[in-house]
Amino acid sequence: MTPQQHPPTEQVDQDGGYEDVAPLFKDLAELDPDDPRYGKLREEIVTRCLPLAEHIARRFVGRGEPRDDLVQVARLGLLNAVDRFDPRRGTEFVAFAVPTIMGEVRRHFRDSSWAVRVPRRLKELHLALSQASGRLAQRLGRAPTPSELAAELELTTDDVSDGLLAGNAYQSVSMDAAHDDDGALPLTETVGEDDTEMENVEYHESLQPLLASLPERERRVLMLRFFGNMTQTQIAERVGISQMHVSRLLARTLEQLRSELTE
Amino acid sequence: MTETDPPSHDVGAQDDIELRLGANLVHLPIIRSVAASIAIRADLDLDAIADLRLAVDEACSTLITRAVADSTMVCRFTISDQELRFTGTVSSDGDDVPSTASFGWRVLTTLADSADSWVEPSRVNGHGNWVHIELTKRKPTLT
Repeated sequence: MTPQQHPPTEQVDQDGGYEDVAPLFKDLAELDPDDPRYGKLREEIVTRCLPLAEHIARRFVGRGEPRDDLVQVARLGLLNAVDRFDPRRGTEFVAFAVPTIMGEVRRHFRDSSWAVRVPRRLKELHLALSQASGRLAQRLGRAPTPSELAAELELTTDDVSDGLLAGNAYQSVSMDAAHDDDGALPLTETVGEDDTEMENVEYHESLQPLLASLPERERRVLMLRFFGNMTQTQIAERVGISQMHVSRLLARTLEQLRSELTE
Repeated sequence: MTETDPPSHDVGAQDDIELRLGANLVHLPIIRSVAASIAIRADLDLDAIADLRLAVDEACSTLITRAVADSTMVCRFTISDQELRFTGTVSSDGDDVPSTASFGWRVLTTLADSADSWVEPSRVNGHGNWVHIELTKRKPTLT
């Protein structure tokens, strides 16, 4: 453990380096993967490096993905890194592992926004529908119907139906949530107006703190829909996101409020 | 099991769709999907489709929390030229309808063109009442 040998990047706030895994990797390279000692040694390396995975997972917390999922994904990345690392190349394991683990976590963010496995065709279809509905809403001044979308994209209504329904398997977490901070929306004037409307709702004393604890955008979308009487398409335009995203945010927020109000 | 089945009408019109499932929140995704499919097929606009899906979700959650444990919920979708109507029914020990001043009711009345809830005493199910929620979504006259 000579601190001078710390890899220069990405590792500064680690308590210590992982130099001690280098000899373990050397031993591992000399073992046959079928050798029972191979599995044991591999496990030892993985266990030794688990804090590295935790550390990287922590950097992605707060972007809409459950912490446990992130840790799990980071550990998966660590396993990949251990299996793919070649000590003969002369690089430090950590220098190799960090980008590998980060890559795994990033991939998770890219893919996991689909709650279930959805074929690529449907993902692309859904994306096309989302974009086309934005264009049509601009042109028509209202949300389009499935048949209008079908005409616009030269698809059958069955295809449009498939694509729209596939969208329900899409979770609005991940990268969108990560961007919330950058595009921080100012607390709108409408929220103030809505407060008087809100007083007519029973238990608004218990509702209000729940609303206050929502992320800014979720609260704003909810208020505009239920106390500002705007359609999802109008809200989408106002907030600068797609109608489908508004719909997902509303579904998620309503479900959350329901469970909190009944607790 | 029949004693906890809410009264059902025959599926009279060929376009009516009825779901019978356990009054349990785990089934919500199925009901949501069916509601969305029906609204898509009825060619409502995307706002109305999303609204109906959310409204049915809200209505069923409300009903399920009032339902007798292990009982059945019936959801019925009726499509006409003018509107799409949803009716949900559960058997309940209570006799109170969802409060029209609640946030949940506000959600329903915002999302649907009309929302109604009523309680009907039941003579057959051994539990007090049927609780119904009915929602309608008008088919917009598009320009």
